[in-house]
Amino acid sequence: METLNTDFKIRFRALTILAVCTAVVCMAPLQARAQEEDESLGGDTPTIVVTGEGRSQVRLAFPEAQYDTSLTGRALEAAKEIEQTLRDDLDHATIFNTQGPTELSVLALTGQREHDFEQYRSLGNEVVLLTTIKLEGDKLALDGWAYDLPTQQSILGKRFRGTLDQPRLIAHYLADALHFQFTGRPGLALTSIVFQSNRDGYQELYLMDYDGRNQRKISAHKSTSGYGDWSGDGETIAYMSYFSGAPGIYYVELATGKKIPVYREGTLNLSPSFSPDGKQIAFAHSRNSNVDVYTCARTCTDPVRLTQSSAIDTGPVWSPDGKQIAFTSSRSGRPNIYVMDASGANIRRISFEGDYNDGATWRPDGTQVAYASRENNRFRIVATNLVDLDTKILAQGPESYEEPSYSPDGQRLVFSMKRGKKSQVMVMNADGSNWRQITHEGDNSGPDWSGFAKR
Amino acid sequence: MRTMTIDRKWIVLTTLTTLLLLAACSGNEAPEIEPPPPKPVEQAPTTEVPARAEPAEPVDVQEPERPKSLADLQDEYNRAGLLGDVFFGFDRYDLDASARERLAKNAEFMNSGDGRSLKFTVEGHCDERGTNEYNIALGQNRGTSAVDYLVSLGVAANRFKTISYGEERPFCTESNEACWQKNRRARFVISGQ
Repeated sequence: METLNTDFKIRFRALTILAVCTAVVCMAPLQARAQEEDESLGGDTPTIVVTGEGRSQVRLAFPEAQYDTSLTGRALEAAKEIEQTLRDDLDHATIFNTQGPTELSVLALTGQREHDFEQYRSLGNEVVLLTTIKLEGDKLALDGWAYDLPTQQSILGKRFRGTLDQPRLIAHYLADALHFQFTGRPGLALTSIVFQSNRDGYQELYLMDYDGRNQRKISAHKSTSGYGDWSGDGETIAYMSYFSGAPGIYYVELATGKKIPVYREGTLNLSPSFSPDGKQIAFAHSRNSNVDVYTCARTCTDPVRLTQSSAIDTGPVWSPDGKQIAFTSSRSGRPNIYVMDASGANIRRISFEGDYNDGATWRPDGTQVAYASRENNRFRIVATNLVDLDTKILAQGPESYEEPSYSPDGQRLVFSMKRGKKSQVMVMNADGSNWRQITHEGDNSGPDWSGFAKR
Repeated sequence: MRTMTIDRKWIVLTTLTTLLLLAACSGNEAPEIEPPPPKPVEQAPTTEVPARAEPAEPVDVQEPERPKSLADLQDEYNRAGLLGDVFFGFDRYDLDASARERLAKNAEFMNSGDGRSLKFTVEGHCDERGTNEYNIALGQNRGTSAVDYLVSLGVAANRFKTISYGEERPFCTESNEACWQKNRRARFVISGQ
């Protein structure tokens, strides 16, 4: 088990004191006040930071949730799902090192706060999360309260309320609030993944929660559809479908389910990618001709050709700052990954290993591009540092690993694992550890991780 | 909010800020910390969890069926050797000698007799070994290569439409070279008379 490093502890302690002063004495919202004071120091706005690379962890005690006596039948079942989902979310979030009821069962708890907090602390915990779930009318309310154990001061109090069919979402909100409290950034609990599956006979577009739960079909073209790409605001997915004949680009508006034809000219339109500001898309296009990369405004009335080579240029992906586009080109004789300015200028090759490289995804900090790289007829997932082109293997093994996509915090990758002819969607940590298969039914591929949910 | 690595300066600033804040909030004495309420959860502001945006029932659009007579006609010309598909090397879309030979025969048929009135969809197909997405682009270039060569032999370009199916519609489903070879092709489909 990892422990908090000293720097983190100091910062954490400092913020606790700030929080006590602002929340208890000054009665101002903690986050806003802390930020305000920091800004007065000269612009930088540090907060508690649990960095990705350092991987410091918050040691969190999460005893059993308190179920109100109002909960019976279906409401009680939903309440249990809230608690289980919250536990799963905290387990998935790498910043928390959580002790649950099993680990805490060795303690002699009395219900007396000071005593119990000392007990939690005796197992090395630094924070305790207390939760209560009750029925309010026809809705479930989840109360979450986090305390700093050394000072016994509250550092977070939140209440989320939703309908009986939203237990997972209610839990995700609290998990996300906790993550924000300790890192200053949203977590992954409210993010989603789009992918394609043929489980119902045709290849259709599907959504799932970040952990693979709640899988649902969002297209019914009864054709071949897929390769979804999220808009930055999470409201739209661009994708490709054959349903009107030749492959065309479409949007699906998630709030309404409405499908909007975007570009169906020519003979091939493939691999749409939203620019980070959502104002443009890049895609691969052909008009009875060689395939090239094009960009256009969101409505795509007048696409501009960016690549001019006589080779295949496809699979464009916008960099997080919107200034560059990574894509796949066969101009070297084999498919390789290239990066160009968003204007199409300054094309340079970045992949030099394997005999076939495709499926670029930018790490959200813009410093690396990950992709599938084939060696001995199997694809591995590798990441190339754009400064020195140093390339590291993230995933390799007996199957073929393709189509990587970074989570918005850069801490995870979703990808497809092809075993024989069948593909499944997998998630791993960005360093290649901790693999989990999150689809099982049918053939599943083409995953793309959403940005952070609006908070 | 921006993250930053921790340094001594930050700690000093934080400590100073904390002291200033303590002073500002409560005079010169450290504040008496009130114990948090025993059931503090009642005081947390309630956030209503919004209904997750869910797509409505999506549209159902079928691809049009090709008239049976054209499929029969095509079988007939295929069997007679007048019209045939062309095959490609692994990861390639250029035409080898046998592909050019096949296309020359196709061109001859297309510019004479019954063949003269026909229109074609040229489908590009790939074996299963590349990535799905790149294979769709590769299939497009296979179809384009075949059509470009036919045009160079004098067949009118407006008689062709290309479409790529990548590795989505294999002719043969085993995982061996004999089978993969069959799947790397540009297929000639009669689309109109």
